[in-house]
Amino acid sequence: MVFPVRLALRHILASKTRNGLTILAITIAVFLLCFLLAVVKGIDAGVRSASATRLVTQSAVSLFVSLPMSYQPKIDAVDGVALSSEFRWFGGYYQDPSNFFPQFAVNQNRFLEMYEKDIEIIEGPDGITGPGARAAVQKALNSDRRAAIIGVGLKDEEKYSFKVGDTVPIVPAIYQRADGGSWEFIIVGIFRPLKERIPDQVMYFRSDYLNTSIESGEAIGDIAAGVYYINIDSGDIGDVVASTIDEEFLNGPQRTQTITEAAFASFFVSAIGNLPLFLGTIGGAVLFSIFFSVVNAMLIAGRQRLKESGILQALGFTPLTSTFLLIFEGLMVALIGGALGLSLAVGTEGLVQDLFGANIRNYKIDSNLMLLALATSSALGITAGLSAGIPFLGYRPTEALRSMG
Amino acid sequence: MSEKTYIQLDGVTKKYSRGGEELVVLDALDLKVPEGDYVALMGPSGSGKTTILNLVGGLDVPDSGKVSVADTEVANMPKSQLPAWRARHVGFVFQSFNLLPVLTAHENVMLPLQLTPLSKSERKIQADFALEIVGLSDRASHRPSQLSGGQEQRVAIARAIATDPDVIIADEPTGDLDRSSADEILQILDRLNSEMGKTILMVTHDPAAAASARRLLKLDKGTLVSDQTREGA
Ligand SMILES: Nc1ncnc2c1ncn2[C@@H]1O[C@H](COP(=O)(O)OP(=O)(O)O)[C@@H](O)[C@H]1O
Ligand SMILES: [Mg+2]
Repeated sequence: MVFPVRLALRHILASKTRNGLTILAITIAVFLLCFLLAVVKGIDAGVRSASATRLVTQSAVSLFVSLPMSYQPKIDAVDGVALSSEFRWFGGYYQDPSNFFPQFAVNQNRFLEMYEKDIEIIEGPDGITGPGARAAVQKALNSDRRAAIIGVGLKDEEKYSFKVGDTVPIVPAIYQRADGGSWEFIIVGIFRPLKERIPDQVMYFRSDYLNTSIESGEAIGDIAAGVYYINIDSGDIGDVVASTIDEEFLNGPQRTQTITEAAFASFFVSAIGNLPLFLGTIGGAVLFSIFFSVVNAMLIAGRQRLKESGILQALGFTPLTSTFLLIFEGLMVALIGGALGLSLAVGTEGLVQDLFGANIRNYKIDSNLMLLALATSSALGITAGLSAGIPFLGYRPTEALRSMG
Repeated sequence: MSEKTYIQLDGVTKKYSRGGEELVVLDALDLKVPEGDYVALMGPSGSGKTTILNLVGGLDVPDSGKVSVADTEVANMPKSQLPAWRARHVGFVFQSFNLLPVLTAHENVMLPLQLTPLSKSERKIQADFALEIVGLSDRASHRPSQLSGGQEQRVAIARAIATDPDVIIADEPTGDLDRSSADEILQILDRLNSEMGKTILMVTHDPAAAASARRLLKLDKGTLVSDQTREGA
């Protein structure tokens, strides 16, 4: 082994406790870094997967104020609008409030076409799969007002295990039924999301089921559309279409605010976005203090090595030798810690996905993150080594030799 | 011993300023040491002995005057070249041994050889040989903490001679040792001088050490006050 490597290794081994603690600190820091960035990235991927040719028209007052059904023809008439669908939050649960997944009331005739690039129908009635499945599901959707489609997660997760043909009772949280019972939906199709932003535990059902039930007095609530999802023609026309729609409804009955799907998605993210911000703040503080403890440990190591620097200089080594040794040591310790932290992050990836799966669906320690983790630890090691090694250069060899360290 | 001057100090002055006060450590000092000489330097503590060794070894530069070793003007050499020059020409031996505690005896001796163009196997041969000269081949894999003081100093001497330098600079090499260990060290130094022709410049407080040198210099307050050559040397 080359001499500097050997000497550096010996020094690392000679201070097992200190270096062990430093490695532990870096392991924690790098794990935390990977975890937090993967969380933030996962959420961000959802926002970025939003379609560039989709707008969302919502009430200018609040997301929780529904737009009327009567807006649809007027939106359709706007230049550049290709297809629109009402989109209404249902907010019920299956059997127990803890079994929560979103349900949306959508336009039975338009939704599948509108989401053609967003979801892939993987199973329809009578076990149909493949290219014909979409048409079969559309047909089934039109033939029963209780028809609904679900994401594949509701089929795969054991506590749901929904299948095509199942009748699924959903307990309402908003739209109570006159008989006090549950709403019944019949699963006619299962899809796989093609975009990160779309959850795989979600149900879409016919808005007219909700509206006609309210109309006939079977259920209690307002007849309304919720928000409108709008596919627009391609080209850079989003802003124009959005402002044309909003102008159309300027005089009511409800003023609207039309935004891109990305902006709409990030609104939802920011609703739960306090979590990453909170984690980020804590994580940042922890990282910061770990960073300084590592630099400090290196500085202590450095102070004890001034004498060695003097001895090495007497033997004919340059003063830079000691500086390089400390940088090398810092780098090795940091990389060991970094590799451990990264292994921990990679090793617990599945666990985190299982634990937080529904909330952070895109949690993934990808190669960029690995590279970043290793680069960060390297930078930390080099910085620590430099801060310990640079002061050496200010001493004359005789002073270094006379020092006690 | 040839009559060729090997180490030469001409009007060397060295000052330190301490708290604004100027301390003249060496005052226009002249000194000539022929090649192959063995010089003991005595004097009270603080008289400037270590300072002379540092100047000769190129660890320090004078405020004025000339220091030349083997026809090289040490003080005029660019600072960046001094380490390499030191590696080739000078071997240091210190009172407190100054071995690196994390390295074995053999690795300590290997240290200065890393700076030579020798191959790895040649370096190993040199280091083995140096340890053999000081009689410690059987302790090669011991750490300094596993050696006695005398053995540590012998390893330090092996390290100083590993690259076969012309000059050995020893600063109170027996100062931390008991009598018998000290005598062993003095015997080794004597052999290095008489058998291998090394020029030795040794600072000492030990009369026995001084007696084993060929020449005895006495320093007081930065000037040489006595210069005796041992009879029969
Ligand atoms: N780097 C330095 N800075 C200030 N004073 C120094 C320095 N090195 C040596 N001295 C002073 O110079 C004087 C001579 O030192 P030194 O040559 O080590 O003496 P000796 O070896 O004879 O005991 C002492 O008073 C010492 O304190
Ligand atoms: Mg001294």
